[in-house]
Amino acid sequence: MEGMSYQRFPKVKIRELKDDYAKFELRDTDSSVANALRRVMIAEVPTVAIDLVEIEVNSSVLNDEFIAHRLGLIPLTSDNAMSMRFSRDCDACDGDGQCEYCSVEFHLNAKCRTDQTLDVTSKDLISADHRVTPVDFGDPAAYDSGDQQRGIIIVKLRRGQELRLRAIARKGIGKDHAKWSPAATVTFMYEPEIHINEEMMGNLTLEEKKAWVESSPTRVFDIDPNTGQVVVVDREAYTYDDEVLKKAEAMGKPGLVEIYAKEDSFIFTVESTGAIKASQLVLNAIEVLKQKLDAVRLSEDTVEADDQFGELGAHMRGG
Amino acid sequence: MARRKKQSEDLEPLRQLVRHHIDSYNYMVDEGLNEMFDRVKPVVVHDSFTNKKLKISVGNPEIFPPQKEHGSKMMHDKLLPFECRQAKISYTGKLMADVEFQYLDANSPVVRERFNFGQFPIMLKSKRCHLQDAGPQKLKSFKEEAAEMGGYFILNGLERVFRSVILPKQNYPMSMVRNSFRDRREGYTDKAVVIRCVRKDQSSVSVKLYYLRNGSARLGFWIQGKEYLLPVGIVLKALVDTNDHEIYENLTSCYGENYVKEKGAVGSQLVCERAKIILDEVRDLSLFTRFQCLQHIGEHFQPIMDGLRKESYHVVAEAVLRDYICVHLDDNYDKFNLLIFMVQKLFSLIDQTSVPDNPDSLQNQEILLTGHLITVYLKEKLEDWLQKAKKLIKDETDKESKNFDFFSLAHIKKVMDKIPSKQIGASVETMLKTGRLVTQTGLDLQQRAGYTVQAERLNYLRFLSFFRAVHRGASFAGLRTTSVRKLLPESWGFLCPVHTPDGEPCGLLNHMTSNCRVTSYYDSQGKIRDFSKIRMSILSVLIGVGMMPSLPKLVKSGPPAVLSVLLDGRVVGAIHSSEVEKAVAHLRRLKVSAASLIPDDLEVGYVPLSMGGTYPGLYLFTSPPRFVRPVKNISLPPEESQNIELIGPFEQVFMEIRCPDGGDGGRNNAFPATHEEIHPTGMLSVVANLTPYSDHNQSPRNMYQCQMAKQTMGFSLQAIRFRADQKLYHLQTPQTPIVRTSTYTKYNIDEYPTGTNAIVAVLAYTGYDMEDAMILNKSSVDRGLCHGQIYQTETIDLSTESNKSDRSQRMFRRNKDDKSVHSLIDSDGLPYVGQTIHPGEPFCSIYDKTENKWRTNRRKGSEPVIIDYVAVDMKNNKNLLQKANIRFRHTRNPIIGDKFSSRHGQKGVCSQLWPDTDMPFSSVTGMRPDLIINPHAFPSRMTIAMLLESIAAKGGSLRGKFMDATPFAKSVKKANGETKSESKSLVDEFGETLKSYGFNYHGVEVLYSGVYGTELTCEIFIGPVYYQRLRHMVSDKFQVRSTGPTDQITRQPIKGRKRGGGIRFGEMERDAMLAHGAAYLLHDRLHTCSDYHIADVCSLCGSILTTSFIQPQRRAVREIGGLPPPRALKKVICHACQSSKGMETVAMPYVFRYLAAELAAMNIKMTLELSNGAAA
Repeated sequence: MEGMSYQRFPKVKIRELKDDYAKFELRDTDSSVANALRRVMIAEVPTVAIDLVEIEVNSSVLNDEFIAHRLGLIPLTSDNAMSMRFSRDCDACDGDGQCEYCSVEFHLNAKCRTDQTLDVTSKDLISADHRVTPVDFGDPAAYDSGDQQRGIIIVKLRRGQELRLRAIARKGIGKDHAKWSPAATVTFMYEPEIHINEEMMGNLTLEEKKAWVESSPTRVFDIDPNTGQVVVVDREAYTYDDEVLKKAEAMGKPGLVEIYAKEDSFIFTVESTGAIKASQLVLNAIEVLKQKLDAVRLSEDTVEADDQFGELGAHMRGG
Repeated sequence: MARRKKQSEDLEPLRQLVRHHIDSYNYMVDEGLNEMFDRVKPVVVHDSFTNKKLKISVGNPEIFPPQKEHGSKMMHDKLLPFECRQAKISYTGKLMADVEFQYLDANSPVVRERFNFGQFPIMLKSKRCHLQDAGPQKLKSFKEEAAEMGGYFILNGLERVFRSVILPKQNYPMSMVRNSFRDRREGYTDKAVVIRCVRKDQSSVSVKLYYLRNGSARLGFWIQGKEYLLPVGIVLKALVDTNDHEIYENLTSCYGENYVKEKGAVGSQLVCERAKIILDEVRDLSLFTRFQCLQHIGEHFQPIMDGLRKESYHVVAEAVLRDYICVHLDDNYDKFNLLIFMVQKLFSLIDQTSVPDNPDSLQNQEILLTGHLITVYLKEKLEDWLQKAKKLIKDETDKESKNFDFFSLAHIKKVMDKIPSKQIGASVETMLKTGRLVTQTGLDLQQRAGYTVQAERLNYLRFLSFFRAVHRGASFAGLRTTSVRKLLPESWGFLCPVHTPDGEPCGLLNHMTSNCRVTSYYDSQGKIRDFSKIRMSILSVLIGVGMMPSLPKLVKSGPPAVLSVLLDGRVVGAIHSSEVEKAVAHLRRLKVSAASLIPDDLEVGYVPLSMGGTYPGLYLFTSPPRFVRPVKNISLPPEESQNIELIGPFEQVFMEIRCPDGGDGGRNNAFPATHEEIHPTGMLSVVANLTPYSDHNQSPRNMYQCQMAKQTMGFSLQAIRFRADQKLYHLQTPQTPIVRTSTYTKYNIDEYPTGTNAIVAVLAYTGYDMEDAMILNKSSVDRGLCHGQIYQTETIDLSTESNKSDRSQRMFRRNKDDKSVHSLIDSDGLPYVGQTIHPGEPFCSIYDKTENKWRTNRRKGSEPVIIDYVAVDMKNNKNLLQKANIRFRHTRNPIIGDKFSSRHGQKGVCSQLWPDTDMPFSSVTGMRPDLIINPHAFPSRMTIAMLLESIAAKGGSLRGKFMDATPFAKSVKKANGETKSESKSLVDEFGETLKSYGFNYHGVEVLYSGVYGTELTCEIFIGPVYYQRLRHMVSDKFQVRSTGPTDQITRQPIKGRKRGGGIRFGEMERDAMLAHGAAYLLHDRLHTCSDYHIADVCSLCGSILTTSFIQPQRRAVREIGGLPPPRALKKVICHACQSSKGMETVAMPYVFRYLAAELAAMNIKMTLELSNGAAA
């Protein structure tokens, strides 16, 4: 037993990377690690979001809390969120959360002076810190007319109505409130392993093959038009819905195909709200995960408790 | 602009729902009041000295639109409904009418004086309302809802709506069997024929024709709370000049020897015998001529008839016949004929050749509407007023005072001023305010209270339902029998079988179906109908198709050869039974054709001949207010475009109406269908129609949904800014359902949505979803799912607060010196808008000028509120602010204990706000559910429609389309005449869609545990379901207490949530504790935590009442400041024994001491025998 280590060296292979979207493989690790990563991405990667709103004038149709809530949900660019302080443990401002280390101030000043309805959008939020601004969803390529306002609508104003407020954005995590969650969607799937029993498959008529292929709601299999053989087109389209297995069973051909989920191989899909880049989200999540593990890591002077923890003790000490 | 126009058109179906309220009120304003004023009995004052008579009558009523009352009469502004709501006043207009005075001597002129009869409540959107013709834009400018449809009153700022009540069908003789008839007098049987006769001015008088054991019949009617019974023979003879033979012939005309035992024969040999008995009775009283009969009647009724005491018997008798017998008819011959018909029907009931009519079935019922009740009520009030005036004038003349001149109208008017005419308008307002009739006679109505209810705007569906509700009558609510509550087939298509509450009012409070209407006095062009003209044209049509008119009486035959024809309770003739069907078909054709004078809502109640069924005849009804509903007449040639016929519940029973699924519904060739339903959903009310796929649900679930839809927190109002309702619920983020029925579009329900499309997963995940609990996703809640607000308005009126005795002047003002309130209260004494007020904090400050005192009103309750709106009323006092509305806003996020429900009667309580990361997720889409419910909610409740909704919504959201979920879609023919292909079930249809988008055919998905990241063993059914948040929230209901106020007498904790009391630990709880042997807990609950008390008992005399403390002498010591007073040496003495020797302390409940005291007050002494526990 001595010296035997269970340590594994997970590998990450990036498949696709956009600003707000990432797809990557995570191999050689457990579902626990994969899920931990998912959970951290959703709930514990810090971002900046508006947390305190002081309303000066609000003559719009929406009430103050409504507007405050809407402001809170606007994603703000939070690339420096990791280096910011939580206002609860900020030394610079006694925790009132109004200093440059832990907060960013926003101003909004809008009044409708025309007969046309004025849309107050996230673009009207003026930030005191250029690093923290409302996320810009405008895709300049898609919208040729540049003057079009493409922010997130906060409220619509009629003639004479006015909205004037000061908002303070703070660092937070999705666990506390969903507005701090940087992830729109984070999910992973187990990589499937598909073995077609070629012998049995060869015995099927083309009709049967077709029926079997079509029984899957997603396009996992197809028939090669040249050879008439059933081939796996897209392994990862398989949703573990067992439809093809059930179909094979119904056709009286159990064992036509065997599908396993690889226990140590995951395909992650990450979509970001835009607060941080999807790639950064993953990196931040790993960072947070590390910090969390550091927090549970035992100190060196706990060797004597090894009989209690056994091997785990050494592991947690950084083995 | 085009869009706007379309919108106003779209509102028409909505208007249709409240039409009957507005129409009935409009008719009252237009014509009904005139009609009624003309029929108010004039009073005649007789001056005994000059022997002159003064006749006082009323006429020419006029109601004015609501106006603002200003101090100066210069300004006359419109009073708008929203102002009434905010100022908590009534929306009323002036009622003016002429009072006519005429001295009844030769050629005295009629003097008309305009009297003000006070403020009369105005129905919204009626012809006297300022909103009458306003379109959506204009309504908005009046600060109303764009879709405001009126139909209710505003009284003291509250919206009250008339609760329609079921009445027996007017002018239709109903045969009844009731045990109470037997108790009328000796010799009466339990059988009678009853007719509720209604005059043109809506007032009604019921007449009952009882059968006696000896074969005769008695006519019973009520005068001033007493029933009078007359032998029917006398009445018959008194009505017209006739002879015994003619009466005999008429009575026995229904009996023909040839027809005995044949189908449809109603007479029997016995009829002749009974006719003889009836005639003999009259002869025995030696009344032979009409004059003698009149004299006889007059003699008996003279003392009772008001104002006719001095008239001759003859006149009295005429009055009795006119005012109490068959009052819907003016002609005595018609009354005679109707009575003959009633006697024949009664005899047929006795001979069991016809069955009694069921008074509980809708066939024999109609509805009571606002305008009609107000008219009747006002009539009585006017008559009362005139009577009182007469009495006052009479008293004044009898007094012979100098300063009263009988011939001076000024004097007369001065006397009449003692009973102000303005009270009359006020009495109507009180009636609508309380729903209570203050009346001596009872107005021939079953109930005196409960005619109006407050129209709560909890949500739009609830509000709508108030206008569609029909109550069976308050008198039935207390009845032990359940027969009145039964759902009878006769109500098909008129009353919704689904939309009735369960529990106490079940089956009594019904709702009209979405198609059901009530006939009104207005035709489709909006003109008032001339019923006499209509009746004339119907008559001529009938005679055209072979009816023999009843005058001159030629027909001496009855069923089955000929059938009587009754038009609005008048026997107009008879028709050969062979020709009836042709005549009925002809009438129906004329009904639908626009050109004819026959109204489209004529009820052609053809009761065919049967073996002992309902008494046959052809009963035609034109009069309002009857229920009607549209059906397609398919017996008409299809090229006639207009084939929608309005039918009533009376005729429906005898009609062949088929389902529009193209089948014949098992009919045989003998009875082919003549009519067809327009759509099967026509049998459901608006609210019941909103349940998607309700045809796939177990029926009670649909009933529960109707209940819950009305308790939903939704988007209650669009003009919420201008409202000052006591309490309003508001959902912040409502959505329109993805799966919707056609009713949503038809009635613009999207303007007032009531829920949210939540992603619902059906699985047992954490154990927190057991027993109808449900788990909400915390992140969804963070993002605003089901967030709601409660708006609560407090009105502070200083002018009513200060009682009249102390003439203190109060005003809103802030105390300059008390800086502590400055953060909450502005300088005007009212709160800042947008300010959060915590419980116990002041929100307004009032200054009393005379006493120079400041007072603040503090928030009660347990949660912080936000000031939403402050409105002040400057109307009364020029400069002094006296009245203010302060609206608070409670924000209500969903929390544990709040109630939610889907649209299928599946309610549940939120048991946890579960973190998003722990929720199961789909590996394909990454979706986490918003809400988790337990699969056990389905098997026993069988709400298949909820599962269908989930799949349909899933497919719909994938396709980006709304899904039509109108129930009974399969039972409708397609436009091309073919029914939908039956082979495909709904599930298959949705399955294909889901599959094409790469989802499982049956709507299940593979989910992964959010905690472990492993696949869940089962595939999980997941999809969007429209969820409603119900208004029952824990924040309004929780009750906790550790310590708190106690009752003064018993020293036990008080009850009541508001006062911080406890929850009663009652006998049954005590029993449970005993059964468990939990003695310590029991002692803790009932004693330690309740009224624990240590009493001093004198063991010598055993009394606990005679002990008292002896005050220690050293008082000075106690005064030392700062130090707690030294514990005084306890010295107790028994007053009875004059010693403190036997003093013991005993722990006991304080009530025990109280009991001892109470007993002592009754001279009972209670002695305690003390013993040491060990010794006992």
